Amino acid sequence: MSGPALRTVGLTKRYGRTTALDDLSLDVPAGEVFGFLGPNGAGKSTTIRLLLGFARPTAGRAEVFGVDTADVVRAHRLLAHVPADVALWPKLTGAEVLHLLAATGPGTDTALRDELVERFALDPSKPARTYSSGNRQKVALVAAFASRAPLLVLDEPTSGLDPLVEREFRRAVVEAREQGRTVFLCSHQLAEVEAVCDRVGILRAGRLVQVAGVPELRHLHRSEVTVTFTGAAPHLSGLPGVEGVEDAGGGRLRFSLTGSPAPVLRELAAARVTALSVREPRLEEVFLDHYGEGAVR
Amino acid sequence: MSTRTSPAPAQAPALPGSAGRAVGRLALRQVRRSGLATLLVAVALTATVAASFDALAADPATLAALRGIARNPAVRTLFGEPVALESAGGFTVWRSGTPVAVLLGVWAALATARTTRGEEETGRWNLLLAGPVRLRAVVGRHLLAVAVVVLATGAALAAALVLTGTPAAGAAVHGAGVAALGLFATTVAALAAQVLATRSAAAGAAVAVLGAGLLTRAVADGVPGWEALRWASPFGLLELSRPYAQDRVLPVLLLLAAAAALAAAALALAGRRDVGEGLLARSAHRRARTGLLGSVEGFAVHRCLRPLVGWSAGVGAYYLLIGTTASAVTEFLAQDAAVRDLAGQAGFSALDSVRGFTATVFSLLPVPVGVFAAVRIAALVAAEPDRRLALLAAGPVGRVRLLGAEVAVTAAGVLALLTVAGFATWAGVTTTGGGLTLPEALRGTWSTAPVALLCLGAAVLAAGWLPAATAPIGSLPAAGGFLLLVLADSTGAPAWVREVSPFAHLAPVPLEPADAAAAAVMTVVAVLLVLVGVVGYRRRDLLC
Repeated sequence: MSGPALRTVGLTKRYGRTTALDDLSLDVPAGEVFGFLGPNGAGKSTTIRLLLGFARPTAGRAEVFGVDTADVVRAHRLLAHVPADVALWPKLTGAEVLHLLAATGPGTDTALRDELVERFALDPSKPARTYSSGNRQKVALVAAFASRAPLLVLDEPTSGLDPLVEREFRRAVVEAREQGRTVFLCSHQLAEVEAVCDRVGILRAGRLVQVAGVPELRHLHRSEVTVTFTGAAPHLSGLPGVEGVEDAGGGRLRFSLTGSPAPVLRELAAARVTALSVREPRLEEVFLDHYGEGAVR
Repeated sequence: MSTRTSPAPAQAPALPGSAGRAVGRLALRQVRRSGLATLLVAVALTATVAASFDALAADPATLAALRGIARNPAVRTLFGEPVALESAGGFTVWRSGTPVAVLLGVWAALATARTTRGEEETGRWNLLLAGPVRLRAVVGRHLLAVAVVVLATGAALAAALVLTGTPAAGAAVHGAGVAALGLFATTVAALAAQVLATRSAAAGAAVAVLGAGLLTRAVADGVPGWEALRWASPFGLLELSRPYAQDRVLPVLLLLAAAAALAAAALALAGRRDVGEGLLARSAHRRARTGLLGSVEGFAVHRCLRPLVGWSAGVGAYYLLIGTTASAVTEFLAQDAAVRDLAGQAGFSALDSVRGFTATVFSLLPVPVGVFAAVRIAALVAAEPDRRLALLAAGPVGRVRLLGAEVAVTAAGVLALLTVAGFATWAGVTTTGGGLTLPEALRGTWSTAPVALLCLGAAVLAAGWLPAATAPIGSLPAAGGFLLLVLADSTGAPAWVREVSPFAHLAPVPLEPADAAAAAVMTVVAVLLVLVGVVGYRRRDLLC
């Protein structure tokens, strides 16, 4: 076991004339929680299929702790995976699936597994066909976090989870990092990525367009703020970070805000503000902002 | 001044009628390809047999031999009671009627289970049902799509028979009868799909009903005094319509009435149940049974056991019946030296002894057993696009081990099925007079293993290189090979055509010793197919 937890060199996948992933070169050092972002169809799932050896690269290669991902038997002893849309054998119960994955997987801490079943509020005695998509997701998450694999490859792991379970998921990621494990987290939920990731890579139309630390990512943020007031309108144009001030009618102002809100709050303190709402932009909007309309295809 | 505040909808919502038609088109898309293939095979088989009649009728000795054989209850058990054998139409119906009816019936049952319960089980119907259509209408449209293919097949059969110069009335009755049987199979599957919550259970139940119908017909034809049982079997009703002899419409109408009643019941139940659920309640909680879940190999056994029990029940029941009727039907030929000689000339050698009779029936065994092998490998392939394989394949398990475990377990399942057939035949024969020892029965069934293994090899080859066609390609050596042999024998095709079929290389065991050389060659070919398939499976992208 040597080298970064994850390394791709010129990784490329083409399906006929379509290029799903184009020349991806990326290093994720051991112990890092790495967020992998991108709109639908950007190539995130293709990347994961290549990392798992499910698909063969057209060009380039990928390694897990120095082991080529084509060597599935060795590489998969070092990783655990949660697919985006978990499907289970319908007749097996949750407990039976967990038993099977522990027996065929890279080794499992059964005490931790039992604890995670409790924490994720999973009823493992039901057949998988009766599970909702969130419950199927929980089974895969429990199996992955309870494994002894030093690398976790998670594809949209919280898409079907309720907020309570999502909080448990974030805790589990933090614990994994404390144990020195590496997490490769594929997502298009910016808030989740911000909360748990050290660094993020942004994929667009099959190409890696940016790799940055989370503080840098915040610069991408442009919140939409709506202020309701009585009396005279506050003067917001020209304040640092404020753009596109418009009158939304009915004593309301709407504008976008980047960076620190302190100057805006000082100005608003002087006005008679009755309501204030801040809406964080969806990742897609950040993309559109940052890369223009061509970003989302 | 207008007080209206809500904006007008940009587009008028689709009328329920047009949504229903869209569902109908979707349903038709899902059955058109396999449906067209079924239609073509059915028509080709019927037309070839019909076209071969002139050559056959030109030789009075052959025709006389055929009549003699057809009187044998053993042959009647397998092919049904012959009527109007002296006419091209009657001969064609007797020779190709049962295979065509089984082909269309099984296709209709499987297609119905796949497009109704199968689609519902995967959750794809949730999208449809969010639109302005009700569950009952969606089920109805899907039945209609299968029914369209079934009716088209019946019409094409009748047209083919008329074009080969047979009387129109007989052609119409036969075409209508086969179509009515197809509709019966469709509606049985539809009803099963309302009661049972999984596609495999619904398909299994429907095929079991058809199998029971075939067995009932076989008993009614083979056992003197039990003829009335034909009225209780869809295949018996088909036979009772007697095309080209009496052209009876009543049995066909009865079959249609049964199909209509089943369709009405299925649609009524569809209107009463929850989407995604069957009528039979499922237990919500149960204890974990982890005995076979400790390894990839154990899990392969775990997934194979339940289907193997189902296939064993079907194959076992059929061969138990063959065994119990063997003594009775072979006595007939033993007493009639003239018919026996003619039978020998026509290739039905030694039907007059229990061992000869069972050897002939054992040669049919690779068809179900080979299809079992193909379907098992296809089930592993289906776990890829269903994404069930993703979690397993993300573990430290190589592709070769994944497929190898399935191949090994399937091969063991093949041997188990052959053993069950041997035991069942022996048990049947032993309870009704004897004439076959257990080792003889097992040698007989095991000697057919190479053909079933060819199916396994073909299925693995397809799994590696053309995964979407695993089941049809895997079934080809058995089902295609058997059809080829029947066609070659009926049409007097050149010898090499016959030799292509693996069935041409099976010796009638236990009457004669097994053809060891042919068995070795077929087994080596099967192993080579597996190896080439595994290479492809290693190289290709998984579909999950």
